[in-house]
Amino acid sequence: MKRSRLVVIAALSVVGLGLALALGALVLDPARAAVGPLPAEGLVLPADTRFVMGLDVRRFVQSPFYAKFASQGGRPQAFAELEQKTGFNPERDVDQVLIAGRPDKGREGGVVIVRGRFDRYKLSQAIESAGKRVTTKKHEGNPLYLFNEGLKGASAVAFLGHDDDLLVMGSQAAVEAAVTSHFQGGTPLKQNTALVSLLERVKPGSTFWMVGDQSLLAQMPTTMPAPGGGSGGGQIQLPALKALMVTGELDPVVSVDVTGDATDAAAATQLADIVRGFIALATLQAAQKPELKTLQNAVSVTTEQSSVRLSARVPYEVLEALQPKKSAGVTPAPAPAR
Amino acid sequence: MRDTSRPVPFLASARAVFGLSLEGMLWSRRSLVLGAFLAIPVLIAIVYRLVLVARMPAEITGLHLYGYLVALFWVRNALPLAALFYATALIADEVEGRTLTYLITRPVRRSAILAGKFAAYLVTTLCLALPAAVVTFFVLATSRGVSVAASVPDLFRDLGVLALTLLVYGALFALMGVLMKRPLLPGLLFLFVWEMAANLPGYVPRFTITAWLRSLVTHRPAGRGVSELFGQVLPADLGLAVLTALTALFLWLAIWIFSSREYVLDQ
Repeated sequence: MKRSRLVVIAALSVVGLGLALALGALVLDPARAAVGPLPAEGLVLPADTRFVMGLDVRRFVQSPFYAKFASQGGRPQAFAELEQKTGFNPERDVDQVLIAGRPDKGREGGVVIVRGRFDRYKLSQAIESAGKRVTTKKHEGNPLYLFNEGLKGASAVAFLGHDDDLLVMGSQAAVEAAVTSHFQGGTPLKQNTALVSLLERVKPGSTFWMVGDQSLLAQMPTTMPAPGGGSGGGQIQLPALKALMVTGELDPVVSVDVTGDATDAAAATQLADIVRGFIALATLQAAQKPELKTLQNAVSVTTEQSSVRLSARVPYEVLEALQPKKSAGVTPAPAPAR
Repeated sequence: MRDTSRPVPFLASARAVFGLSLEGMLWSRRSLVLGAFLAIPVLIAIVYRLVLVARMPAEITGLHLYGYLVALFWVRNALPLAALFYATALIADEVEGRTLTYLITRPVRRSAILAGKFAAYLVTTLCLALPAAVVTFFVLATSRGVSVAASVPDLFRDLGVLALTLLVYGALFALMGVLMKRPLLPGLLFLFVWEMAANLPGYVPRFTITAWLRSLVTHRPAGRGVSELFGQVLPADLGLAVLTALTALFLWLAIWIFSSREYVLDQ
């Protein structure tokens, strides 16, 4: 065989093997998603959902961020009590959490899906003995636990499926709809083409992520004071965003990517310039806070057609330096002698 | 019995030239040197995993390093240089070695000669570049803080962009090779002077090849100073169309010029 053919075959073998391994990793990934980062069970979310958030709890708990949080006494006491009652430890037994909702509906529009390992019997017992206002009913042959049924703000919890690994919580209507979709094989979220197209743009595998349309930003101000404007001075009109995507990692540094879809390229450029201005203003403070100088290198703002992308990579040391220092305790004055 | 009054069919002659050129190109000192050059990122990746990961700033993960290597090392510098050294020599080597006469007096279309040589160049450079990219990816994507599955789409896209880089620069430098007697210096000037215009504001970057190529990769190494201020990301679909059109144009021009030009070799 000619030497050149040997080299070509060797090169093709390396590339072919690499691509096969890559495809295998993609297909066999346990957190493989159905749409972007959203797992298959997330497709039962309501069609009128305006935002979806996801948290990879395993990676979150294993991150230095959580280690610092837990070491500073932030671990809720409730976790220990919950484990004692139900054998369920959120830090160990929860893999993923999905939160979806509609900002205009508040708690009524919210629904949470939790994937993990649950002891259905113990959890059910704990829920049923939680209080007098807990009732149970069957929905699609599945037990539904209702809190404050018939009252405003009534909520519900149900196991989603026959396996003990999916839990859905939220308003009664939302939980019932999710259970119905699950058992009938429905995928109502796919009807929300705008949200689905946003989800498809999010890279799967992030520790946390969020996508939402402009209703998510409805409470944000639309103007800001112009520099040097004074009390009666001018205002800068902030370009409106049509959609927002956030992804983040917590290991080895805190990295956040925020992508906003503006109305057009000019609006995106304007927004990018405003953000760069803020970063520049912050770094002017570097004389008083040297750690802010590091922040300038940690944040970058780019535009791509009508999208603005803000990427931040912040080491934990910088975050700690930016936290307000606790003031030293004041020693109390000694009590007067009697 | 073949009709000897007609040239050998295009595909048959291109294939013959391809086989001959590939043997000479792939198994040569030039390929050894360029192969080692293109494999530098593999070495960087190994050193990163073994030594540097504990010393580098934590914000530079394996995937960030991979992105830098793809966008800045391969697409911006190494592959255009490889294309320059190979593609300019497709015809220039034959002229310098005075073997062109023997080639063009054969009953073989000149277009087939150039097509076969260009195909051999493409196969040679792809065999040198793509395995290095794949190995680098796996060395870096399996490091801490990186999800292999999430990064796989980047690998597919990057391999496509690397191939397109070799294609478009190869076509351009093949054209320069048939046009000029000494195309190396103009090629270097193009790469390191003209292509710098990709960092300028406004519409100027659209007149460079590298601006379109870097818009196809998803890795955006954070720039500093001017490059960050004016860093543009051009539309990816338009970039693909422009680069494809440029490749076709350069190749067509190269074939047309080579087919119609009279080569007078120095005595």
